[in-house]
Amino acid sequence: MTILSRLERWREQGAITAGQYAQLSSRYRREPFSLFLELNVLLYAGVLAFVTGLGWTVTTWSKQLGDLLVLAVLTAMLAGCFWYVFSRPAAWSPTEAPAPSPIFDYALYLGSLVWCVELAYLENRFHVLSGQWDFYLLATAALFFFLAYRFDNRFVLTLALSSLGGWFGLTISRWPSYQNSTYRQLALVYSLLVGVGAAVLQQLGLKTHFFNTYLNIVANILFWATLSGVFERQGYGVWVLGLLLTSAASLAWGLTRGQFAFVAYAMVYAYVGVSSVLIRGINDDKSIFAYFVITALAMLAALIHIARPFGRSA
Amino acid sequence: MRIYSASSEEAFRTRELLAEWAGDGLLSETQHQQLEKHVASELHTTNIFLRLILFFFTLVGVGATVALFFAVFRLWSPEKTSGFFLLIFAGLCYFSAEWAVSRFHLYRYGIEEALATCSCGFLCAGMWSVLFSGRPYFPQPDAFQSLVPASGAVFSLWLWRRFGFCYAFPAAMIFALFLPDYWTSSHSAQHVVVVLFYGTGLICIALLRARHSDFAQEDLSIAEAFLWLGTYLALNLQLSTLSLRAQWGGSNLRNASEFSPPFYWMTWVVIWLLPAFVLVRGIRKKDRLVMAVGAITAVLTFISNKPYLGWPRHTWDPMLQGILLAGVALFIRRWLEAGPGGIRGGFTAARLSARDKQWIDAGSVVVGIATAQSVTPAAQTRPTDFHFGGGSTGGGGAGGDF
Repeated sequence: MTILSRLERWREQGAITAGQYAQLSSRYRREPFSLFLELNVLLYAGVLAFVTGLGWTVTTWSKQLGDLLVLAVLTAMLAGCFWYVFSRPAAWSPTEAPAPSPIFDYALYLGSLVWCVELAYLENRFHVLSGQWDFYLLATAALFFFLAYRFDNRFVLTLALSSLGGWFGLTISRWPSYQNSTYRQLALVYSLLVGVGAAVLQQLGLKTHFFNTYLNIVANILFWATLSGVFERQGYGVWVLGLLLTSAASLAWGLTRGQFAFVAYAMVYAYVGVSSVLIRGINDDKSIFAYFVITALAMLAALIHIARPFGRSA
Repeated sequence: MRIYSASSEEAFRTRELLAEWAGDGLLSETQHQQLEKHVASELHTTNIFLRLILFFFTLVGVGATVALFFAVFRLWSPEKTSGFFLLIFAGLCYFSAEWAVSRFHLYRYGIEEALATCSCGFLCAGMWSVLFSGRPYFPQPDAFQSLVPASGAVFSLWLWRRFGFCYAFPAAMIFALFLPDYWTSSHSAQHVVVVLFYGTGLICIALLRARHSDFAQEDLSIAEAFLWLGTYLALNLQLSTLSLRAQWGGSNLRNASEFSPPFYWMTWVVIWLLPAFVLVRGIRKKDRLVMAVGAITAVLTFISNKPYLGWPRHTWDPMLQGILLAGVALFIRRWLEAGPGGIRGGFTAARLSARDKQWIDAGSVVVGIATAQSVTPAAQTRPTDFHFGGGSTGGGGAGGDF
């Protein structure tokens, strides 16, 4: 039986109204076909490609073009973007609010990225901050947080969180070269600050739909920090404990809220961390393989048990 | 051929649609629950996150079991013996996947998928060890050795048809990509053979799409999209011979100039025509994935056109490309919105499903973080080492020094 014939039968049985039948059957037949997602992806890719080219051009041709011209162009772009977003002020709402126009979010995102390019240019050419990058990052993070909350924009929120991470000294791309205790402590402080901040904002009812973005970023940074501690040769006990506590919290959160990404984080990070400790110092291949056989089966059994109440029967 | 009955899969797709429609407010919760009772079947599935970790731990378990078996019985050498046992494990894994589905009615559950994936891997490794142990792994013109990738391709296609794993189809395409390397040393001929393979696949898929019922269209659409993409990549000599090969080791690096001029310029013409053709086909069939491939290949054509013509790249090329992409998106949006009811030719720019917004929200977090990495400098604890930028893509794009 096809889906359309099912819909027709349900209409005849009175399970759905004639109006619903018309709506659902046209939706199923894709009449009309929505290009919403495709157009948004094109816009995003366009902004990203543009800023990439902008940064590349400024980097390569700054001496030939001259500082004045480069800064004038960048400032004009920045002003244009911010004029666009501030001249179309939708009333601020603490809840999720639609963008005033289809390109609004992308103009804001472009403006934010151009801001980064211009500040970087200013600093590299004129050393206006005399190497005090902390101020640049903190101010940028503050600006991006303001813009994200004012205009309800997740792209800019992630820029804000990343800039704040930079202020703490955290960048994902450079993590492997800085796996030391200071770096881990900074990661913990960052996670704590952002996590508490997100919880407070959630309690205040300010843009509560941002909460998951915060939580995903905090959870991953926390897991990376504790896991890198577990991989240390000495003094890893406290990090193992931290990893287990984090995993337990993530698992509990995921299961109670039905957010299975957190269940996945907990299972995988905890397995990797605990396994690295347990097989440390074992040189016998057979014992290591046996360990993985037994633990993988145990994990599968646990996961199937966990999945059962949340599984779907088709 | 299919391990799942058509009625079960149709019921599964219907339940997914009911959930989506209820989420969009087109059905009340009472109606949703009531209608779900009409479409019950025996298949058991799970959500994407649990599916992924079930897949992961099954892979770990199977891999460790095989390794333990080899370690206990000291079967690492000779290679022929280990290959023989790998073939046995391939069979065991495959029949375990069949059994798991038959016995427990698993559907996209991770476990049966990992077992089937392992069976394909063990089959290829086992065949190689049994038939060609001691020979170099590097592909060279030797038709007999092509038996291994050919078996991988056929077996992947079988998994795709039997279980409906959408990733098994591109796996078969990748296996097929290696086949001509064993048959001929002519690079032009290798490209032509790959295109012939994918072209044949496209004809078969078109025939299947004409015959199959509605729920099967989704799987076939994925296969068609991959085939168009593969055909394009095989024809775009700048992408398939230089950049990708260089990134994947460089051992087989070819220069575009080694191709005969007629072949080279013919491919240049085709890479301009193909995206338009694919895009039109996607639009006519209202096939989202085929349309996406049309758009992606169009962008790739713009990117590779200058290298094709031997023209120098400019730093502002990405800017122009960005303006073009955003301009096209804005033009299409405005054109659609200007139509009666915001609809033209059966297309609209309006959001009809909440799922679209969920995709954008999820994507914005992932790509937002990746982008932001380019504008975030080094650690605060190492200020003397600080060097802004270096990000080659996205973000501030402020790579290198000014």
